[in-house]
Amino acid sequence: MTKTDINQAIGDDLEIQALLKDYPMPEAATGFYDQALVRATHEGSRRQRNRWLMTGFGSAIAATIAIWAISGVLLTTPDLPDPGATIPGVSIALEQPRTVNLVFASATSLDSATLTVSLPDGIELDGFPGQREITWETSLNKGKNLLPLTLVALSPAGGELLARLEHDDRDRTFRLRVDVT
Amino acid sequence: MSNPNQTRAFERLVRPHFDRLYRLAWRLTGAKAEAEDLFQELLIKAFGQLDDLVTKDAPGAWLCRVMYNLFLDEQRRFARRRMLTVEEGQLAGDGIAGLAGPDDPAYDHGRYETIMQLDAALAQLSDEHRIVVLLHDTEGYKMSEIQELTGLPVGTIKSRLHRARGRLREILTENGTIS
Repeated sequence: MTKTDINQAIGDDLEIQALLKDYPMPEAATGFYDQALVRATHEGSRRQRNRWLMTGFGSAIAATIAIWAISGVLLTTPDLPDPGATIPGVSIALEQPRTVNLVFASATSLDSATLTVSLPDGIELDGFPGQREITWETSLNKGKNLLPLTLVALSPAGGELLARLEHDDRDRTFRLRVDVT
Repeated sequence: MSNPNQTRAFERLVRPHFDRLYRLAWRLTGAKAEAEDLFQELLIKAFGQLDDLVTKDAPGAWLCRVMYNLFLDEQRRFARRRMLTVEEGQLAGDGIAGLAGPDDPAYDHGRYETIMQLDAALAQLSDEHRIVVLLHDTEGYKMSEIQELTGLPVGTIKSRLHRARGRLREILTENGTIS
């Protein structure tokens, strides 16, 4: 390659670089960043909960309060307690967040199950201020699935928390008594 | 809904990097809708990894890497959609990427035609060549920054950059955009 060729190649490169430097791009639309941020925190929280639900039984359990089973015919696994027999309870201190863990034992993996948590007056799910009912879609692995819920009591009344798991046309409701101390 | 404290902490960490991330999303995907999708996916993923994010010395660089990996994971989807958008961008007077079109008072015919040709030429490059040349020559990323982002050796990046420029030069010379 001669000196002229090299100079020509450098010149060509510079010409291309100059064109590329001028290659435009629009600014983000007004409000896009704010909207994206809101969507991210909402969707991120939902996915986080789904992931927790699918993580299985490996995490530390602060307060395991119930196990129930769901199978093709929604039969309770014999070696697991019948959730209808007694209503399990948990005590939480006023305005002190406490994590309780629901354990779902499923005989098969379930896609697109819907889980709805209904809260009594004065009890909130941390991160969901003012919401009495929170619903999200999730999948269950075969075996045990853990769902941690962080509860906050805003009044001393307490009450009953309902967790309803639905899949296809079947559903199962779990009750948890929440006492506030 | 999310914990307000988490949301505030997250925003404090990510907002300073929004413009850079948005530009990166644009350069990776080449179209507005896909760039917005990628940007959104990144924020959702980053929010889910907030515990990791708060420990990063350089959250901006970390976010860029996560975005790049997200793009690679969903490259097929983004590439497919980009092809559709390129056609839309070639509608008369539509303009590309914020460039003033014929209906705009700021319209510059010569520049518009050149940019349109460049846009079409870039669309003919492979993703790996197009991304490297856009990051380096358009966005001004240093070699080390591209290396950090992509995980590629500097030699590979230089090679791709050289080939990309060469291919662009061929295309633009053939169609008479440059001499």
